[in-house]
Amino acid sequence: MSSETLDLARDIISNYSGRTLKIMEVCGTHTHQIFKYGIRKLLSSDISLISGPGCPVCVTPTGFIDEAVMLALEKNATIATFGDLVRVPGSEQSLALARSKGAKINIVYSPLDAVEYAKNNPDEEVVFLAVGFETTTPSAALAVKNAKEKGISNFSILGANKTMMNAYRMLKDSADAFLYPGHVCAITGLKEYDELKDEGIYGVVTGFTPKEILGALAMTVKKLEKGEAFEENCYKRVVTYEGSPSALKLIEETFDSCDSEWRGLGIIKDSGLCLKKKYSDFDARKKFNLPEITGHPNPHCRCGEVLQGKCTPKDCKVFGKGCTPEHPIGACMVSGEGACSAFYKYGGDF
Amino acid sequence: MCVGLPGKVEKIKDGMAIIDAYGAKRQVSAELLEDLMPGDYVMVHAGVAIAKITSDDDEELDELFKDEK
Ligand code: SF4
Repeated sequence: MSSETLDLARDIISNYSGRTLKIMEVCGTHTHQIFKYGIRKLLSSDISLISGPGCPVCVTPTGFIDEAVMLALEKNATIATFGDLVRVPGSEQSLALARSKGAKINIVYSPLDAVEYAKNNPDEEVVFLAVGFETTTPSAALAVKNAKEKGISNFSILGANKTMMNAYRMLKDSADAFLYPGHVCAITGLKEYDELKDEGIYGVVTGFTPKEILGALAMTVKKLEKGEAFEENCYKRVVTYEGSPSALKLIEETFDSCDSEWRGLGIIKDSGLCLKKKYSDFDARKKFNLPEITGHPNPHCRCGEVLQGKCTPKDCKVFGKGCTPEHPIGACMVSGEGACSAFYKYGGDF
Repeated sequence: MCVGLPGKVEKIKDGMAIIDAYGAKRQVSAELLEDLMPGDYVMVHAGVAIAKITSDDDEELDELFKDEK
């Protein structure tokens, strides 16, 4: 990006004046980058930036944590998980607390590492907590496929994988446009977004450098000013129109679409993925015969409203008091990608 | 958990790639990318290379903004 373009982009977002434009970033990494680089401070007061539900840990419902705790403490399973999930409060306890009671919780970087661990520890039943969007789902699919091919029967997943399309639809009225998540789009391609454009849902795909985010914000403002339907790809070095056909094929071969519960947003139709019948031996809910669990999030927590842009973390009474990254009450404060944690870390006076 | 890790492919063997990410070597799955070659840059998520990075700069933005000047 030339310095001329960068100046132009900065100019556009700082000097915009007109009706308030609501732009929602739906990727937790974008939320953090925007705070980290002070991009909010550059924005005209007529531009409102909303942090949407793009952090997988934040949208995973309390009941999922309860299921994981039950697997660890009552079913004696070894839990393999991304680190962010360990401190998310369940209805009664987090996995961190379960660990202090003797539960075996292994933090892994990849579900493939969990399969490897299962292979090397045949006496343990290993359950990987599969959360995430289109970006991380291929790795969960690969893990299940590899385990089946190699006959590793002491591995299964507790699934909460989600897809973004119907979430955009649900949030249509919360924002004028979205900053689309670059790495979700690397898998789906821009192709899927054509449909959204036809339905009046607009956005710009962006990467993660300050320049890329500034450029995408400026592009969004320009397009909204013009008042025409749009979708734009400002992250072409990674995102193509077609996306990743092999990842999409793998997801399709491994999962079926299903309804899914999102923290704060409720059940969104066809926004989740569950394992296909041929992989049902790798479904922890079936393997361990888990009962249906309804989670009870802390009543003080306003994560759900934060995730829809209905309030900011600072509107939550316990923000920074009862709820801090050291003692999180809700998932949005736990995850490094959550809006409450970003507001806390970077001050949030924006 | 969602932060992508960009890296340069050093070696590929049996569907796995060794990548150099800011000097650290990591073994990642290369199963999703066909025709991956040493020297390519990839974006890695949760231990899987999910996309090739086709240029190391964001000059495409200059193109896009041509119409806006
Ligand atoms: S500050 Fe804590 S309790 Fe309040 S909405 Fe955020 S995560 Fe929930």
